[in-house]
Amino acid sequence: MTSRRTSPIMLEVLRNRFQAIADEMASLVLRAGHTVFVKETSDFGAALVSTDGEVVCAPMNTGVALMVGVPCDVAIRRSLALGMDEGDVFISNDVWNTGGMATHLPDIYVWKPVFHEGRVVCYTWAFVHSSDVGGVVPGSIAPSSHEIYQEGLRIPVSKLFRRGALNDELLAIIRANCRIPEQNWGDIKAMVSGLSRAEQRVAALIGRYGVETVRSGIADVLDYAEEQAREEFARVPDGTYVFWDYLEGDSGGGRAIRLKVAMTVERGGVTLDFADTDPQTRQSYNLPSHSRRGHWQFVFSLVGFLRSVRAGIAYNSGLARPVAVEVPRGSVLNPEPGVAVGNRSATQIRLVDVVMGALAQACPAIVPAAGAGQGSIFLLRVPDFETGQSRVSVIQPLCGGSGGRPTKDGIDGIDFSIGFLRNIPVEAIEADMPVRIRRYRLRPDSGGAGRYRGGAGLEIEMEVLAPEATATSRAMDRYRFRPWGRLGGRPGALGYTLLNPGTRRERDVGKIDVLHLAFGDVLRIGTPGGGGYGDPLARDTAAVLGDVRRGVVSRASAARDYGVVITEDLRVDAAATDARRAALRGERRPLLDFDFGPEREAHERLWSDALVTALNRRLEPYPPRMRTLLRERVCALVDEDAASGRAVREADLARLFDRVLGEMGHAGWKVAAPGER
Amino acid sequence: MEPRFRLGVDIGGTFTDVVLLDEGSGGVEVLKVPTTPRAPAAAVTQGLRTLAARLAIDPAAIRYFVHGTTLAVNTLIERSGSAVGLLVTSGMEDILEIRRLRLPDPQNFFTEPPAPLVPREAVRGIDERLGPTGAVERPLDLAQVETRAGELAAAGCRALAVCFLHAYASDVHEAASKQRLAERFPGLFVCSSSEVWPQRREYERALLTVINAHVGERMRGYFHALERDVRRLGVPSAILSTKSNGGVMTARTAGERPVETLFSGPASGVIGAHWVASQAGYPNVITFDMGGTSADVSVVTDRPIYSTEAQAGDFPILMPSIDIKSVGAGGGSVAWVDRAGILKVGPHSAGSEPGPACYARGGAEPTVTDAYVALGWLNPERFAGGGVSIAPALARDALARLGDRLGMGVEEAAWAITEVATANMYARFTPFLTSRGVNAEEYAIVAYGGAGPTHACLLARELGLPRVIVPRVPGALCALGCLVADLRADFVRVLGARCDRLEPAALERAFLDLEAEAAAWLHREGLAVAAHRFERSADMRYVGQSFELTTPLPARCGDTLTPVLEAFYRVYHDVYGYVDRDAPVEMVDLRLQAVGVTPKPHVAAASADDRRAAPAGPTGRRRLYWGGGTVEAAVYRRAALRPGDRLAGPAVIEQDDTTTIVPAGFGARVDPRWNVILEAIPR
Repeated sequence: MTSRRTSPIMLEVLRNRFQAIADEMASLVLRAGHTVFVKETSDFGAALVSTDGEVVCAPMNTGVALMVGVPCDVAIRRSLALGMDEGDVFISNDVWNTGGMATHLPDIYVWKPVFHEGRVVCYTWAFVHSSDVGGVVPGSIAPSSHEIYQEGLRIPVSKLFRRGALNDELLAIIRANCRIPEQNWGDIKAMVSGLSRAEQRVAALIGRYGVETVRSGIADVLDYAEEQAREEFARVPDGTYVFWDYLEGDSGGGRAIRLKVAMTVERGGVTLDFADTDPQTRQSYNLPSHSRRGHWQFVFSLVGFLRSVRAGIAYNSGLARPVAVEVPRGSVLNPEPGVAVGNRSATQIRLVDVVMGALAQACPAIVPAAGAGQGSIFLLRVPDFETGQSRVSVIQPLCGGSGGRPTKDGIDGIDFSIGFLRNIPVEAIEADMPVRIRRYRLRPDSGGAGRYRGGAGLEIEMEVLAPEATATSRAMDRYRFRPWGRLGGRPGALGYTLLNPGTRRERDVGKIDVLHLAFGDVLRIGTPGGGGYGDPLARDTAAVLGDVRRGVVSRASAARDYGVVITEDLRVDAAATDARRAALRGERRPLLDFDFGPEREAHERLWSDALVTALNRRLEPYPPRMRTLLRERVCALVDEDAASGRAVREADLARLFDRVLGEMGHAGWKVAAPGER
Repeated sequence: MEPRFRLGVDIGGTFTDVVLLDEGSGGVEVLKVPTTPRAPAAAVTQGLRTLAARLAIDPAAIRYFVHGTTLAVNTLIERSGSAVGLLVTSGMEDILEIRRLRLPDPQNFFTEPPAPLVPREAVRGIDERLGPTGAVERPLDLAQVETRAGELAAAGCRALAVCFLHAYASDVHEAASKQRLAERFPGLFVCSSSEVWPQRREYERALLTVINAHVGERMRGYFHALERDVRRLGVPSAILSTKSNGGVMTARTAGERPVETLFSGPASGVIGAHWVASQAGYPNVITFDMGGTSADVSVVTDRPIYSTEAQAGDFPILMPSIDIKSVGAGGGSVAWVDRAGILKVGPHSAGSEPGPACYARGGAEPTVTDAYVALGWLNPERFAGGGVSIAPALARDALARLGDRLGMGVEEAAWAITEVATANMYARFTPFLTSRGVNAEEYAIVAYGGAGPTHACLLARELGLPRVIVPRVPGALCALGCLVADLRADFVRVLGARCDRLEPAALERAFLDLEAEAAAWLHREGLAVAAHRFERSADMRYVGQSFELTTPLPARCGDTLTPVLEAFYRVYHDVYGYVDRDAPVEMVDLRLQAVGVTPKPHVAAASADDRRAAPAGPTGRRRLYWGGGTVEAAVYRRAALRPGDRLAGPAVIEQDDTTTIVPAGFGARVDPRWNVILEAIPR
């Protein structure tokens, strides 16, 4: 046991007390919240934060469960520099000057110091994902944005309240720079009310137990969580586990973005090294982590792992302390200031998959196959003739099934990376918006086959009853690279979007960026399914029959993917099944550790690990913005070569680089040669 | 005068409590008989016979008979009711599989959403469609309804539930379907979502309908058997059942709407606590029911508060029920030390089998009850009136093992358990109380259940409450609550209008419609009531928010909506601490609660005869461990205490169904209605 100053009893008492404060704060924010993301997707958080900037407690059952590892130290330093008094409330959404706390502009953070006899004891802290902070598109996030200035108002660390008095001028600036000033102000009020309530609670706690007990309690609950995390990580076999996956990156016109990690586990410590992850992109998929230790968006999978293996584990930033994060400057996961970052949620969801893939190799009996890996919010805008404006509403969150698990099937319709999402009642959508939801169901044959089947995706079919409508759905992904299966399990189905299916006007629209719709149009969206886990031919035949009866697996798929022959009156034909399974076993290729599906195999025939790694290494010496340009051009040349039948290898890169640098030189660019930076 | 009695019965999992109240004298008799799970009505008649014989009363003198049962909620939790078939609008057949998506524990890879109550194979789509205003967009095909239901019946379904989209706005398709199904399948229990609870939100409404169908057959059979048996004994009065909303309804209605009885047990406890407290002069109380597995609190601010977010087992319950927060911290909750050396209490409970270590039934893990025993708070000779034998040595052994891991002695470890249990309660209860706008310091605790009065002062101290009320029958408060509950029914209508665009007259018309519906219900129940009233409220929010606050409204709408808005601002301010008078407000649902006020028993305050010149003295003294050391406490027998008696802590008050701990710094007095009131002595 470490040098704890708090007795084991008092520690449990204080941990409970802190938890109550965070939960109370969260319930105030949630219930008084005004904007869509707070209400419909619980995209908000609340916490007590130590004077060192670590999250001491956060709600476990409300909000996005993404507060562990939020680094608040830089924001604290900047607020101290402004002078800190009792009654002050600070605000910021600044992704460049808060050290990895805010990672895109819609996340508005507010915090308030809790003073006791002139000294700060801790901070009360909250954030919401605002539905709009200005910028080039409603909602502020467009994959195609390429600089932060398109993404809305940036609020450097500022005082929203000075000694309890509202900073009207700042508020006026905020309100003047967004499309939904009333809603944003509503959310900010809800947060401030939560902060103040929490401040009173901490004061009462100090009154009850004394300031020293509370101070040391804060330090000790963090240490306690760290201790537990290290114990659990110490059970993970030491070693380095390498894994990569792709973000499709094509919304907004980009190329596939490869996220690659080398996860090293050593005596209870974890290092996540992203040296071979792709450089920052022109599109808004960049995630400005500032490469912070234990960064919240990197530890998500690891925190899930800890909570899965240890029921009731303490829940605070102590869990993230053992996790080192190493991302080179200029990476898509640690971009240079100025780039667009709005759509980093898509990146984060894939980051979850990548760390899961590494962890799966270390702990195959705990970690599931890949989930759907999409957490997209499908919005519809229709004209509102009464007001002359337009109305925007969430139709549904578009998520899919979770991966098959070592001991059971994946979960249908929802995945761990966005497991906090709630859907919207069909009756509420139709009362609110001129649409008819014709179908909302589990998508048949979408879960990857496996001994434990991947969770099914969802299928929604919407008919437009307005004269015109515009659909947007950012962060769609897994339309090209499937959620992977594990240990013989097959990958899950890709997502799809069809306009007017089954008619002569049917059109496959792929990922929705901005889609204009007319009266009577029918849009059908299928979300990805989770990957399967284990050999599908070893799946219990009764389970396959159950799936067929439930309609999540077709009879054809039962025979094709599971070798289970099901009769028309829905019984298992045992003899035919045995024969079919034997035949399938004979003709199939060996089972894969990870089954990524044919699309990725095809992609990697050209874009091999060796080629991509060599390309990224060769780009490293150039300034980050130039890397992006160089990379785009070189990749285009590789594609051209490949299209004309010339195989491209690592050795060809030198030639291609020379050519591109030459072009740039001709265009009057000053090109720094490697090593001259 | 001819003697008249009221009989209250609470059927719990282990015991059936029977309370007989003499309307003339106000005297209360309590009997506990073992519950007979296979034929729950048998325990009721058994108890009634025993009491009638013991007190030599004629069952014909029972003029009021209310009972509550956990049969519905247990049937649901065990999922042991009828196989249900569900008919839904086609395209929505996966309604119960998809739920509302959100995972129960999103960061646990092994989490599992609840299995649907109706397997997917027993859900059938029907080609019909209404729009959000109730307009028919696609007509219903009754022949298809019949065919699909026939398939389900052939597959073994014993009950049918119907839930079509937008049926809250019009029951045209559901009512026609139900009628046809009732004709064609007379042996099946049939119900529709629009009659069960016509609120918007198809998943939750379908779930209520399915639950009603799942428990329906058994509950209807049970109420039928009860009515028959009780009549045979000669009881003339109507038989009433308690409801989750703290009211009562006739057994006949309960047989059709059993989903309304899910939380009736705990709800009638709150009603009983409220009645006791208001008689004692305290209208604002926090009820605190601590039993073997959990501690439950609820809030009464002049009246009980309601929730539409209750959870029964795995399922959300949208109907109004008394708002109760439950924490897994009861007498049986197990104390343990985690790998980092931290003391934890619960949520695992030793239950009644094997029970706490001191029960000597094989339990080896220390529980909260073991801690009480080791601290000297409970008298091993008189636990549960001597009905359960206690082995203090076993409690101490279990605590010694725990103490070794903590580096503590037995008493020190036992005290630590009570501290951690209290912290658990505090952590769960405080956000609950806050979100209901409660400032705890202005409230008194009513403590009941086996451990409530034992633990109440610890919780009171933590919450900063000055006062604890221990009723006369803390072990049978639910049965007592049955006797004082009113007829209550809830009605809801979707409105969905902004207040700045709403005509007061239109609002009044909508409420009058609800009142007509409610009046018809009261009439159908056919009970003599002293008075009736309609309580209006509305679920309101600022435009753009998605959580509503239920706002009580005046009985009539005037010419403006100002009073309505003011009522909303008050509620909003209580909960969130600020209001915005400029932002537009909308009314989502209108609610009406019909209350048929039942005649209340008259419990006279103590007369001069009940008082004595000399207060009762302690029957003994014993050493208690408290805080860091031992204190000498006076021990009193509750039965010997009389109105007007006063005593000072540290003291212990023992009675058959509980033990009250009066810590140092608290005083206790017996009020004219025999309640013990504990109060912090101002320093």
